[in-house]
Amino acid sequence: MSLLRLESISRHFGSLVALQDVSLEMAAGELRAVIGPNGAGKTTLFNMVSGFFPPSSGRVFFEGQPINADRAEARVRRGIVRTFQITEIFHELNVYENVCVAVETAAGLNSRPWVSRETATRVRRRIDELLALTGLAAKADRVASELAHGDQRVVEVAIALAMRPRLLLLDEPTAGMGDEETDRMVGLIRRLHQEQHLSILFIEHDMDIVFGIAQRITVLDQGRILAEGSPAEVSANEKVRAAYLGEAA
Amino acid sequence: MQLLLFNVFNGLVIGMFYALMALGLSLILSLNFTINMAHGGFLIVGAYLAFTLNPYLGFWGALVAGPLCAAVLGLVVERLLIKPLYKRNEPLYSLLVTFGLALVIQDVARRIWGPQGLPFSIPEALNSPISEALFFITGYRALIVAIALIAAIALFLILQYTRLGVRIRAGTRDLETVAALGVNIYVLRALNFGLGCLFAGLAGVLAAGQLGLIPTMGESVIMPSFVAIIVGGVGSLVGSILGGLIIGVAAGVMTTYYPAASEAVIYLIMAVVLVVRPRGLLGQEGLFE
Amino acid sequence: MNRKIAALAVLWALLATAPWWLPYVGGYTQLGSRVLIYALATMSLNLLLGFTGGLSFGHAAYFGLGGYGAGMTLKYLAPSTPLALLVGTLVGGAAATLLGPSVMRRRGIYFAMITIAIGQLFYFVAVRWNEVTGGEDGLAGYSRQPLHLGGWTLPLDDTAFYYLVLVCFAASVGIIGLLLRSPLGRTWVAIRENQRRAQFLGLTVPLYVWASFAISGTLTALAGALNALLNNFTSPQDLHWILSGNFVIMVVLGGMRSFWGPLAGVIIFLVAQDYLSSLTENWMTFIGIIFILVVLLFPRGLLGMLRSRLQPK
Repeated sequence: MSLLRLESISRHFGSLVALQDVSLEMAAGELRAVIGPNGAGKTTLFNMVSGFFPPSSGRVFFEGQPINADRAEARVRRGIVRTFQITEIFHELNVYENVCVAVETAAGLNSRPWVSRETATRVRRRIDELLALTGLAAKADRVASELAHGDQRVVEVAIALAMRPRLLLLDEPTAGMGDEETDRMVGLIRRLHQEQHLSILFIEHDMDIVFGIAQRITVLDQGRILAEGSPAEVSANEKVRAAYLGEAA
Repeated sequence: MQLLLFNVFNGLVIGMFYALMALGLSLILSLNFTINMAHGGFLIVGAYLAFTLNPYLGFWGALVAGPLCAAVLGLVVERLLIKPLYKRNEPLYSLLVTFGLALVIQDVARRIWGPQGLPFSIPEALNSPISEALFFITGYRALIVAIALIAAIALFLILQYTRLGVRIRAGTRDLETVAALGVNIYVLRALNFGLGCLFAGLAGVLAAGQLGLIPTMGESVIMPSFVAIIVGGVGSLVGSILGGLIIGVAAGVMTTYYPAASEAVIYLIMAVVLVVRPRGLLGQEGLFE
Repeated sequence: MNRKIAALAVLWALLATAPWWLPYVGGYTQLGSRVLIYALATMSLNLLLGFTGGLSFGHAAYFGLGGYGAGMTLKYLAPSTPLALLVGTLVGGAAATLLGPSVMRRRGIYFAMITIAIGQLFYFVAVRWNEVTGGEDGLAGYSRQPLHLGGWTLPLDDTAFYYLVLVCFAASVGIIGLLLRSPLGRTWVAIRENQRRAQFLGLTVPLYVWASFAISGTLTALAGALNALLNNFTSPQDLHWILSGNFVIMVVLGGMRSFWGPLAGVIIFLVAQDYLSSLTENWMTFIGIIFILVVLLFPRGLLGMLRSRLQPK
């Protein structure tokens, strides 16, 4: 049983066709990249999988279950967690508080007007765990809006991790980052995949990163799947080279 | 039957006022992202300045001058008070600012022109009914309906066919892109605000001729205008007009059968809309959510 | 941390002894009660406004409902102060709870618009329903009754009433504080900070907004009920949109993001209002100017500014 299966997904916005007959299957534990030129439909795909809007036609299956009717909140509870192209975190809270909200949400504590000391300790431990995993421990009490861009994106990943994702969607995780920050993020993604055995689907423009860590690559172009396969297969694919890798390859 | 017609027409006239105000409010809501709590204040400005200028310019002159003054004041207000707040990205502040402005305008009006009602002289010719049978349709009331219609149609023509209008419409959809296309959105927003205030001022002058002037006149029209927008649907200009007419006529009809509840029916309609169709009759889904 | 505790201790000490020192600064006990009542109303409003991000510009509705509920209980039901407070609070709270769904999915200006319209609806009812509410003239002919505690009767003169208000204030502040420090409170703040992120954490945002709206309305209603007992009078002015706006400006003036901000804002505003109205007939103009200046120049409010001064960078 695959983790995520898209069956002939299409998505229109009026007369604009963003996705056309996209079928995709992703196994658990996979680290897959989605690449394609701008406007290819990558973010639309993410929006569709995460429940931002439903497909115009076609079906989405998660862990064998049809989830077309599930709204965003329900999908998160199934374990589909995403980060956004434009960092979506709680800007005026500090890093600790950002992660705290996510941890408490994952533990179902949101509506509690009070928690026991025991629970509070468990929460604290989990937060520390996540901060350590993402390398944010030293910045725990910095206000999110004051962090460097790269750090903010790491915070967003930490928040996503707190939700114990069964499928992590990373929308251009290294966007806007300098070399050092990029290396850090890539290292984090690799660790999450190899040590935490997370299933990760990520959109990326930097081909070095894509071919560096991805197990499988899906190439989108103008709303359709152009190619799919291992990095070797994709880089050898004629259509892909022509459409996308042309100049660089 | 005659009574019903009488009240329906009354309701139509009042509905026109609500519609005019709602139209202006809606414009400002859509492009300036502000709830202009001072809209009633601009109504007062239009009315009282028309009153002051009436002796010099005559009725028709004042009819033009009043709204223009309101519009100019609107431009000034937008520049000084609203513009600094856009970058804060928090609608609370512009609401509070227009709120404060509303208090100031009402008080200043009271100071300058006094708290009592003042009469507004209209040309004698307009005082008489236009026909025997339809005695309640005085020339003036017909004028109100006519001018309101003309103003609304003019607005739609402007929005549809002029450069300014197209930019305003585009701006309500995606201000960023409009700015990226090189349009000066500061000017655009200022003009939009002025336009909205123009309508308030127009409603003020027309109301003055019908009901006379009193410092609280703005207040009594602004709340039903809100309801008109909610009923007609936020984000829809046609909706605002429709909303205004609906509640005006409903109130008029109610006056025929159960006068005490005539104002209540406005809020009743609003309550029903909020429960049954929260986005309003012609409102767009997801706007301001 | 110690500074905070010390400041709080001083604050409560001052509040507890107010009837004694107020006259020395030109005040009087009734003013103290008024400040506490308004502080309660605005701190509850801030739960929704500053901490959940809900722009309520119609909170006077719940304040007034609390007032009418209390007044009408005393006038028509039973001469019992506790009952009056209870009924007033419940009436306002019920209204907020029932109306929550109409605003909980909205944000920003549309949220504000609906709250304004709702506020106006209640004002209109209060003004028109003459037989029951006394109409424009307001609801009079009742007064706060002595408290019967066990076998002991406590007449509620100005000072005793002040302490009743203080007790209610303290209890409510305690509740608000507890809530804001809990996971629920953090959820509200998260919603305020980034609703989309909250949604994509799996939170059903409207439900939390509803809860915030309901709780906030209930405590504001309590303030309104106390207000009715303070004045032995309730009028449509207690439901008016101007009062709603005043509540908001008091919150902003003191500092929207701070817990005690509203109290500071209330003190500044009421003192300013008192002073201005004794000075000039056109004090409304100056209040309006205060609104404008605060928004343009001091949007973070008094405590907001103090906090950024004291914050180590």
